[in-house]
Amino acid sequence: MGENKSDVLQGTLDLMVLKTLESMGALHGYGIARRIEQVSGNTLSLNQGTIYPALLRLEQRGWIKAEWGLSETNRRAKFYSLSRTGRRQIERETENWERVAATIARFLISPR
Amino acid sequence: MDWLRILLSRCAAFFRRRRLDAELDEEFRAHIDLATTEHIARGMSAEEARTAALREFGGLTQARETYRVQRGLPWLGIFAQDIRYAFRQLRKSPGFTLTAILTLALGAGCVTAVFSVVDAVLLHPYAFRDSGQVIVWRETMRELEHIMPVLPDNYHHYLNLKARAHTIQDAAILQTAGFSVSTGTDHPREDEGLAISPNFFSVLGVNMLMGRSFTEDEAQTGRDREVIITWPAWQRYFHGDENALGRTLRIDGEPYTVVGILPRHFRFPVMSVMPGEATHGSTDRYEIFKPLVPTTSELTTNTGEFNFLVLARLQPGVTPRQAQTELDGIEKTTAAAEHVTVHLGVVVMPFAQEVTGDASKPLWLLMAAVLSVLLMACVNLANLQLARRAARDSETALRAALGAGRTRLLQGVLAENLLIGLAGGAGASAFAYAGVRVLTRLVSILPRMNEVRLSLPMLAFALGISLLTSIAFGILPALRVLRVMPQSALQSASAKLTGSRRVARSRGVLVAVQVAASVALLIVTALITRSFARVLNQQRDFNSTHVMLAKAELSEPRYGGGKSPDAGDIGADPASLQRDAMIDRTLDKLRALPGVEEASVTSVVPLSGSMGVDGIVRPDHPVPEGQIPTADRRLIGPGYFAVMGIPILEGRDFDQRERENPRAVILSQKIAEAAFPGEDPIGHKIRHWGRDYTVIGVAADARINDLKRDEAVYYLPYWDFPPFYPVFMVRSSLPAQTLAPEMRQTIWSVAPDVTVPDGALVSLDSQVSESVAPERFQAILLSSFGILSLLLAALGIYGVLAYSVALRTPEFGIRIALGAGRAGLARLVMADALIPVAGGIVFGLLLSAGAIQWIRSLLYETSAIDPWAIGLSLAALLLVALAASLLPLRRALAVDPMQALRAE
Repeated sequence: MGENKSDVLQGTLDLMVLKTLESMGALHGYGIARRIEQVSGNTLSLNQGTIYPALLRLEQRGWIKAEWGLSETNRRAKFYSLSRTGRRQIERETENWERVAATIARFLISPR
Repeated sequence: MDWLRILLSRCAAFFRRRRLDAELDEEFRAHIDLATTEHIARGMSAEEARTAALREFGGLTQARETYRVQRGLPWLGIFAQDIRYAFRQLRKSPGFTLTAILTLALGAGCVTAVFSVVDAVLLHPYAFRDSGQVIVWRETMRELEHIMPVLPDNYHHYLNLKARAHTIQDAAILQTAGFSVSTGTDHPREDEGLAISPNFFSVLGVNMLMGRSFTEDEAQTGRDREVIITWPAWQRYFHGDENALGRTLRIDGEPYTVVGILPRHFRFPVMSVMPGEATHGSTDRYEIFKPLVPTTSELTTNTGEFNFLVLARLQPGVTPRQAQTELDGIEKTTAAAEHVTVHLGVVVMPFAQEVTGDASKPLWLLMAAVLSVLLMACVNLANLQLARRAARDSETALRAALGAGRTRLLQGVLAENLLIGLAGGAGASAFAYAGVRVLTRLVSILPRMNEVRLSLPMLAFALGISLLTSIAFGILPALRVLRVMPQSALQSASAKLTGSRRVARSRGVLVAVQVAASVALLIVTALITRSFARVLNQQRDFNSTHVMLAKAELSEPRYGGGKSPDAGDIGADPASLQRDAMIDRTLDKLRALPGVEEASVTSVVPLSGSMGVDGIVRPDHPVPEGQIPTADRRLIGPGYFAVMGIPILEGRDFDQRERENPRAVILSQKIAEAAFPGEDPIGHKIRHWGRDYTVIGVAADARINDLKRDEAVYYLPYWDFPPFYPVFMVRSSLPAQTLAPEMRQTIWSVAPDVTVPDGALVSLDSQVSESVAPERFQAILLSSFGILSLLLAALGIYGVLAYSVALRTPEFGIRIALGAGRAGLARLVMADALIPVAGGIVFGLLLSAGAIQWIRSLLYETSAIDPWAIGLSLAALLLVALAASLLPLRRALAVDPMQALRAE
């Protein structure tokens, strides 16, 4: 793993999963993991296994739902998709994230 | 709501975890398969593709573990696992497990049993509204203060105070009474009850289950033939018949209409009109309530007829002290306005304190004693736990080395103690059940004892105590041991020594705590027991052996129905003559019984308190009202002094001469000296009931009222006013079982219509012993706790020594090999016990100094700093400590150096 890869920040993984499902529709765990790696331009060091607890967390909250289905290679896999509350939640989570990002950014702008 | 949803989902998952695990594995397999397929598509070999997929996934096991933690109730699973493991561990060491469970069960059981009593007697609210606002008031008379600091109430004063006081809402007046009750078809039964003013139940705030309370106009002769009965009496006399209202009960031979039935939970504690005697007499609950009708004299007299007890409800927000200030003020103002010749006052007592005030301290003392026994039991438990932990050091260390977290190790200990605590709690409930039964039988004389039962909250209390102590005293030693580093514990035995030495030191502290508690408990016990012995061995000046008592209750109308006739007729009215004849004939027949040396009669069962106190007035030598000496009144028959074994010091006993002219009196020495200082009282007269009585004799003082009080008594011949409840007494060396039925038969052969209650057919010896029942109960319980504490201390000391000897066996081996003598070795072992024991004794002495201060008021003529009590307690403890150390000592001396060194 490259030195310039960073670990996934606690809590951001949830938002990444939600956004992925929003843009891609129903997707299995491997698909979600791959998509996140691709979108991040391979700068994230993601143990693919870690997305499963995240998926479970979202499922427990009722933001996503899961169903068994067939993959494009005809492998039986569990497919995740956004629920209605999940869709609404994305907006809230996005706002939250932007506020945090903006706050951090303010610290990063050095007042030279 | 999110958390609820998550919790629900977790709970659901917990119960479907097997299926979900399978699903998860399937999902992970799909993940790896999909990744492998993709890698192959990009040109990797199947082998390489699978490895890459697994690497990118990053640890299947960790992912599964995190997932599971997130999914279900992981702690519950772990907990179940811990419990299973703990169960197996405990089964492997049955000795430890049984000892621990028994210790807990005994400790918690005793505490629960005693607390059940404390709760019912002292803490449980009374079965009426706002019992905290109910007070009792009594009166004081400065002129009588030296003999009776507080008097019962005078009816006239009650009416006045009730009418004028603003601090009270209402006040009821009452008198205790025994009734002979029947439904008219069966034999009469003696029931305790109260004669009450009509507002009694409204003052208490109690509503009838059925029917009504008395109305104001029922408190007068002719209208008073009505009765309110309790739920048990309703069951007993009417079998709970709904139509019992309006039916009649024969009470003392007269028909009374039942107008009200009290609710099932209603209980009124036993009270006494006399102050400070709430616990005297029967503890049967009051079951019969009838209207109180005052006599003309009671309604008008200002300076006498203090025959009642007043119960009042305070206005909201008013304290008993405020009420006392107001009532006392009113009493004094009125007395001054009416030119009353004596100085009156009022004292107020909260109801609860009136009923249980005297029982409070002894009960709390017992509670403290039983708690200290529990503490000692806990210390032993902690000791056991320490030994057990130490024995399992290597196992614990191994588990720690294999990666078990501290929390997880502690959880294991917790599970073990949870199991022990639960089992102990179950045992404690059983012990508490038995304990409560024993206690209620042993101390039926305490107030409210009839309310004591082992309730569900009490069982929860037993379980709670057991769990709490087992966990607290299991976890604390575990914390200490878990601090041991894994590597040091895994090293050889001798390297462990330092760690174990530390454990030994904390065990020493535990023993010191035990010894301290034991010393304090023993000293207090010794004091209380000595005080009890003092009461028993008190010079009583009467001879209680071979005397049998039988009380007859002359309550049929032909005997006068318990009512005194008008003053002019005293002793000469037809009813009095009936009683006179009954007593005369009974005495003749009793004297004729074979084996009977002497028979007589008295008006009060000895040692059941006072009957009535009167001023001894001399017509020839008037003294100011405040300085009239007083004495207790007794009506007796000839031969009384012979039966009781009380010497007559001067003059003579009553005989047939008094039958013709009953105006004679015998004084006890004390009152003789007080009323006739420096004179010979024989031949002088005293005035009583408006008539003059000639002093014909002086008898020795005897404690016939109460073993603890040396009261002055004056005796009148029973012919003067034959008592309604004559107590026949017989001196005979025949056994009580033979005498009792014979006396009853004799009484019935003379008068079949009198009742002879079983409870009043007793030997004087058992009456004496009954009169000190509370003291005996306290002494017995404390002694058993004291012995228990000694046993526990012995166990504790033995444990410490045995452990330290086992630990130092190699050391002793070396010492013996190097030529150490037995004496030196013995000193070494004993030093291990001596330090904690000595420390404990010092601490225990300090502790007992505090405790003695607190119980001082419970001691009867016993010095609080009693060298005997302290010396005996310390001797007992040292002896036990020595005994406990003998076995380990023998083991140390028997160490075979060769074997000890080889074991190393």
